[in-house]
Amino acid sequence: MNLVLLAAAFPLLALPLRAEPASAQPVRVTTDSAEYCGILSERLALAPLAEAEPARSLAAEGRRLCQDGHVRTGVAKLRRALRAANPTH
Amino acid sequence: MGSGTLSGSGVIHVLRSAGLRFALLFAALFLLAGLAFSAVLWWGTAGALDRQTAAAIRADATALMERWHDGGRPALIEAIETRLAADVEDQTLYLLLDRDGTRLAGNLETPPAGGAPDPAWSSATLERDGEPSEARLFRVDLPNGSQLFVGRDVAEKQRLRALLTDALALSAAAAAFFAGLGAWVLRRALSQRLAPATQTAAAIASGDLSPRVPLTGQGDEFDRLGETMNTMLDRIATLMEGVRGVSDAIAHDLRTPIARARAKLEEALSGSPGDAAALRSAIEQGIADLDGVTRVFQAVLRIAEVEAGARRAAFATFDLTPVLEDAVDLYAPSAEARQIAFETEIALGLMMRGDRDLLLQAVANLLDNAVKFTPEGGSIRLVARRGARAIWVDIADAGPGLSDADRIRAGTRFFRTDSARTTPGSGLGLSLVRAVAVLHRGELHLADARPGETPRGLRATLRLPA
Repeated sequence: MNLVLLAAAFPLLALPLRAEPASAQPVRVTTDSAEYCGILSERLALAPLAEAEPARSLAAEGRRLCQDGHVRTGVAKLRRALRAANPTH
Repeated sequence: MGSGTLSGSGVIHVLRSAGLRFALLFAALFLLAGLAFSAVLWWGTAGALDRQTAAAIRADATALMERWHDGGRPALIEAIETRLAADVEDQTLYLLLDRDGTRLAGNLETPPAGGAPDPAWSSATLERDGEPSEARLFRVDLPNGSQLFVGRDVAEKQRLRALLTDALALSAAAAAFFAGLGAWVLRRALSQRLAPATQTAAAIASGDLSPRVPLTGQGDEFDRLGETMNTMLDRIATLMEGVRGVSDAIAHDLRTPIARARAKLEEALSGSPGDAAALRSAIEQGIADLDGVTRVFQAVLRIAEVEAGARRAAFATFDLTPVLEDAVDLYAPSAEARQIAFETEIALGLMMRGDRDLLLQAVANLLDNAVKFTPEGGSIRLVARRGARAIWVDIADAGPGLSDADRIRAGTRFFRTDSARTTPGSGLGLSLVRAVAVLHRGELHLADARPGETPRGLRATLRLPA
């Protein structure tokens, strides 16, 4: 019943969803690129625990994903590796 | 309607239905309640997510500004790159532009297009790995002319919103259906509960007074309406019966004197033509009989006038004591002639508001009955006193009294007990007394003067509010 009541407000709720229309021209995100995979790999090499687990295997997996074209997933792995390699973060 | 289709007049009938209005009100309230509930829910979920995102962006921007203040542009760039490198959720967005628009740091290739209502806040469509996404961005103008954009990818939140919206859209249809169904059920229930009253009223209107509204026994508003209608119909039936009774009584009671007058005149006509004295006597008898008929009509009209209440406008304050004494003086001789003891106990200063003449007539009628029905050697007692809120006039006689059944009917027009058929009278005296009592917002109460004895006597008590 609550769901039914909730649904009755649909016309009102639809309004905020359409507010603040996004700009028409898409903005490219530069961190979704193989180049950024390289930048992260360089940062990782400078990290104190880069060769320790789990940073090492995460980094390897990230690099492999980037090479296979799964850039966003690869970047995410490399970021996790970087976090693991920098315990203070 | 019977064929399952609504004619034009049928549609108008439905649209004018109070049941439909109640049903629509129900549906509107139902939808309004849902609207309010959903608005609160939305504000607490999707709205909270928006506010949370905005707060995180502001906090991030503030922290970056502090870094800029502490270490200048290089520190800011380093902070941005560190944040981007540590963003496992892949949601942060940054862009640092020089005063000439050159991109210095961040993961946005270009600044978002302007045009947002709030220049500090903007939304942008992102291209992420070939897929579109949505971003919310906050712009900070640095003192050296540089611009810093801090934002979040809100695609996940938008997807959550979209899911919620889809659910709401489906539920809205269900809500509308249930509102409509509820409205229809409500209208139908109202219509069904009112149907017995409507059908009964229609039957009454067609001339049959016997139907009554069937009651469900639930004791709800519809049952109370039915009970009120039934009480009203019972009252109407009683009045109709009374009217019929009066008509019958008039026909019956007037037939005798009219027939007698006619017989007298016929007898005079067929008698000796030279006997002028007999002829005159017959005519006089006929006139007397017709005068009696006229008096009956006058009495009926007077009762009707009193019952109509028109004379209430002429009410005045007066002392009832001399009125009662006048009435006693009027009937004392005839009581004395029949050796009837007449005892009176009349309080002084019985001031009241009312119609003096009508009250005199009422008391005279009661005394007339008392003298008429009390046997020779009997007694009549009249007591008048003032009570807490009323004046009580009590007249008790030693006559045959009234049986319980007769007492109920006493006071209706032309009612006469079987034993009183031989005594002169029209059966209108107590009717007038009762009408006068009611006119004064009082009542006439009849009881046995000597309960358990024979004859039981009659005690007529007038209660008159003072």
